[in-house]
Amino acid sequence: MAHAAQVGLQDATSPIMEELITFHDHTLMIIFLICFLVLYALFLTLTTKLTNTNISDAQEMETVWTILPAIILVLIALPSLRILYMADEVNDPSLTIKSIGHQWYWTYEYTDYGGLIFNSYMLPPLFLEPGDLRLLDVDNRVVLPIEAPIRMMITSQDVLHSWAVPTLGLKTDAIPGRLNQTTFTATRPGVYYGQCSEICGANHSFMPIVLELIPLKIFEMGPVFTL
Amino acid sequence: MAAPPEPGEPEERKSLKLLGFLDVENTPCARHSILYGSLGSVVAGFGHFLFTSERSCDVGVGGFILVTLGCWFHCRYNYAKQRIQERIAREEIKKKILYEGTHLDPERKHNGSSSN
Repeated sequence: MAHAAQVGLQDATSPIMEELITFHDHTLMIIFLICFLVLYALFLTLTTKLTNTNISDAQEMETVWTILPAIILVLIALPSLRILYMADEVNDPSLTIKSIGHQWYWTYEYTDYGGLIFNSYMLPPLFLEPGDLRLLDVDNRVVLPIEAPIRMMITSQDVLHSWAVPTLGLKTDAIPGRLNQTTFTATRPGVYYGQCSEICGANHSFMPIVLELIPLKIFEMGPVFTL
Repeated sequence: MAAPPEPGEPEERKSLKLLGFLDVENTPCARHSILYGSLGSVVAGFGHFLFTSERSCDVGVGGFILVTLGCWFHCRYNYAKQRIQERIAREEIKKKILYEGTHLDPERKHNGSSSN
């Protein structure tokens, strides 16, 4: 989960998120250098004693400041498109989970190996135990195996919601009447948090998502297979 | 402000954010690129001034940008290659542990093909 006042990305828990972090670093370095150049130009403009009121054209400079940004945009676009198509690959998922958004909770359905369906409500502050996270912990977590491709089918029963887990690099809109699909493979076990990411009413901030990722051997012993 | 590291986890270095957003301590290759860029800027600017005795700030800034970018791409390419090699090594070790002694043992397949 994010720590207080965190601005940067969370550590990656899936290969796609690792790629996104790499792309973010790459783009941020380009942005830093552009900002540095602009600050330098601003500094020169503010401190120069030279004045020239007769400038009419500057063809060479205009050519440079057209072609250079185009090159920079291509340098940013190529890795971006690569990751975009990589994220869209569907690589034979082992498990399919349905996630249905409601006002203001999530319903999860494990229907591959039986009929496990449950709701996931945020724990109200009065029900928190020591160590629980306020506004993040839920009564029923989504328990999933690591190192197995998982398909999430996301929809909504009422208004727009969005199912997001930053550490996995996932954010998919839950749209009533439409089934959206996202796939991921988690690389390490743990408890990972997300929050609804599409305004959906008064309690939009109070319908978090909690994934509990566990080794496959332990997952196979759990309620999904023993119902 | 940051959460304390778990025992056994490497401690996250204190972040130093250039221009308020580029975290050079925790971004791989950033510190290395900025330092080499600064050195390149000084060398280019000072060298230009020595040879021409003209204003060299522009050359210095240009040198900083070019050297930083060059070091950055070079370092990130090597870092990506290293990550891929680490991932392959991790997979091979896992396969070796899982299949050792069975007909799927990668070492047995390799020895079999080399003796043929």
